Amino acid sequence: MTDKDILETLSRILGILLGTESMALTLQTRRADVPGWDSFSYVSFIVGVESEFRITFRVADVESFETVGDIVQEIQSAKSW
Amino acid sequence: MLFNSHEFILIFLPLAVGGFIFLGKTSKGLALEWLIAVSILFYAWWRPFNLLIIGPSIIVNYALARVLLRVAHEECRQHFATCVLALGILFNVALLFYFKYANFSVTIANDLAGTNFVLHQIVLPLGISFITFQKIAFLIDVAGQRVKSFTLREFMLFVLFFPQLIAGPIVHFKEMVPQFHRLSCRFNATMCAAAITLFCFGLFKKVVLADGVAEYTSPVYSFATSAGKVTLLQSWLAAIGFTLQMYFDFSGYCDMACGSALFFGVRLPLNFDSPLKASGIIDFWLRWHVTLTRFLTAYVYNPTALALSRYRASKGLPILRSRGSGVGAFLLVLAGPILLTMLLSGVWHGAGYTFILWGLLHGLYLILNHAWRQYRPRFGSTLIFETYIGFALTFLGVLCAMVLFRSPDLGTAVVMFKGMLGAQGVGLPRNIHEALSMPMTTGFERTGEVLTHSPAFASAYCIALLTIALLLPNSLQIMSKYEPALNIPTRASLVYWRPTFLWMVFTASLTVVAVMRMTGQSEFLYWQF
Repeated sequence: MTDKDILETLSRILGILLGTESMALTLQTRRADVPGWDSFSYVSFIVGVESEFRITFRVADVESFETVGDIVQEIQSAKSW
Repeated sequence: MLFNSHEFILIFLPLAVGGFIFLGKTSKGLALEWLIAVSILFYAWWRPFNLLIIGPSIIVNYALARVLLRVAHEECRQHFATCVLALGILFNVALLFYFKYANFSVTIANDLAGTNFVLHQIVLPLGISFITFQKIAFLIDVAGQRVKSFTLREFMLFVLFFPQLIAGPIVHFKEMVPQFHRLSCRFNATMCAAAITLFCFGLFKKVVLADGVAEYTSPVYSFATSAGKVTLLQSWLAAIGFTLQMYFDFSGYCDMACGSALFFGVRLPLNFDSPLKASGIIDFWLRWHVTLTRFLTAYVYNPTALALSRYRASKGLPILRSRGSGVGAFLLVLAGPILLTMLLSGVWHGAGYTFILWGLLHGLYLILNHAWRQYRPRFGSTLIFETYIGFALTFLGVLCAMVLFRSPDLGTAVVMFKGMLGAQGVGLPRNIHEALSMPMTTGFERTGEVLTHSPAFASAYCIALLTIALLLPNSLQIMSKYEPALNIPTRASLVYWRPTFLWMVFTASLTVVAVMRMTGQSEFLYWQF
């Protein structure tokens, strides 16, 4: 799975969550860049991503993701097991 | 040592900064060790005995963090790492619990069982709540490999750096220690001017604005406790007055903390961002005590909400969306964790029923705000009136909660709330009574013995403070061109500080007024936590 595929999936999940149709996340996107993406919707987003990719993040990692790129990287490494 | 004391301003701070720059010329390591030494002196000044509590706690935390650092990255020893982390958190919480809550637990037990046990009065070591949270965050960061290496000196600097030692901001290792590495240890005139200005703004807020209005509010609260009765006017003035007192007390403290750190070229994270300008309670908590909200969100709210969301997802139930979520998801994933987090916040602020209620009340406010966001009818974009109503409701909500925060016991809070509802008389000023030729009702004849200032004076004071809090740009905004703190939001300001003669005169005038009113006896409200 390429980074681009993952980004598309992440954008779709966040788009549904925030009710925004055209969501285009990049590897550099930060939470503060997306209007409405507060810590409340962040938790739902993470759980949405977990069930989509059938993985479980470590709680400490969830706190330390700074960019969408960090999340993509974590998904890649979890999927390579 | 208090920031607003003569010994801090006239002796300690100049010596600390002077020694730091002087030693920095020969060796930066020496300068940083000097900083640790003066920080210990700063802490021990009030009661040297406190060092015997904080010292061992620092050593134990350092040892645990060392162990964690060694095992955190080894996949096969994750269980061991989790155990060490749990032990560390337990140790810190137990220490805090003993000093802060042992007495209160006995009170609760007595109330529940109708017994009458008495425990020794335990003296709270200064700043233990803040220091505990900071060390818990550090252990979690090490376990999560967000801190990859640290030395004893870095750890000591991070924990003890005196500007943030007693009452925050609650800093993270990764935002502080790299700064210490980058320091030049040279005298920088502009930075020094900015530091003095910020510190003096803070001093003025604390000594003149906060302590000034306290002269009115404190007697009313004492009167409510002793007489069991306050009138409508008195209680509202005292409630508004205390909200403003708390506001300027903490705002002043944060300015003085950021200013003190800036003398050394260190930026502390933003902690106070004009919270009374907030147009909703969620917004309020993103502006009031920002680093505490950050801590509680990261280490209490998020893990709880995450666990509950996962539970729902595993059962195939819908999780929370940003609008129109199912009621089940809303209650379990949002309302539950919020109530838990705010309850904890209340208990953290103080051991007492009033603080528990204060936390729960704020939890309720936050849930209502979220419910409005989830289920409000669609108006299209946010309407202007929504902002104003939101602002008014937030102010009223914060004000009522502050009554609980200030009242020494539940009885006093009830008296205050009854007074605010008008159940104990209006208490119009005597001259208005005479002008209306009405017979004196309950209340105001008593005010003469309660109040040092007339209600008119107190109202004028409150209006002046409200104007400053609501209409003027805050000190970090004014100084934003010189980056006096981390994470300052980009918001335009009416005026900007520059190292000019005019600004110097202005700052000096504020300082003269503040120093003349300084008694060196008035502690910051947040120092008791």
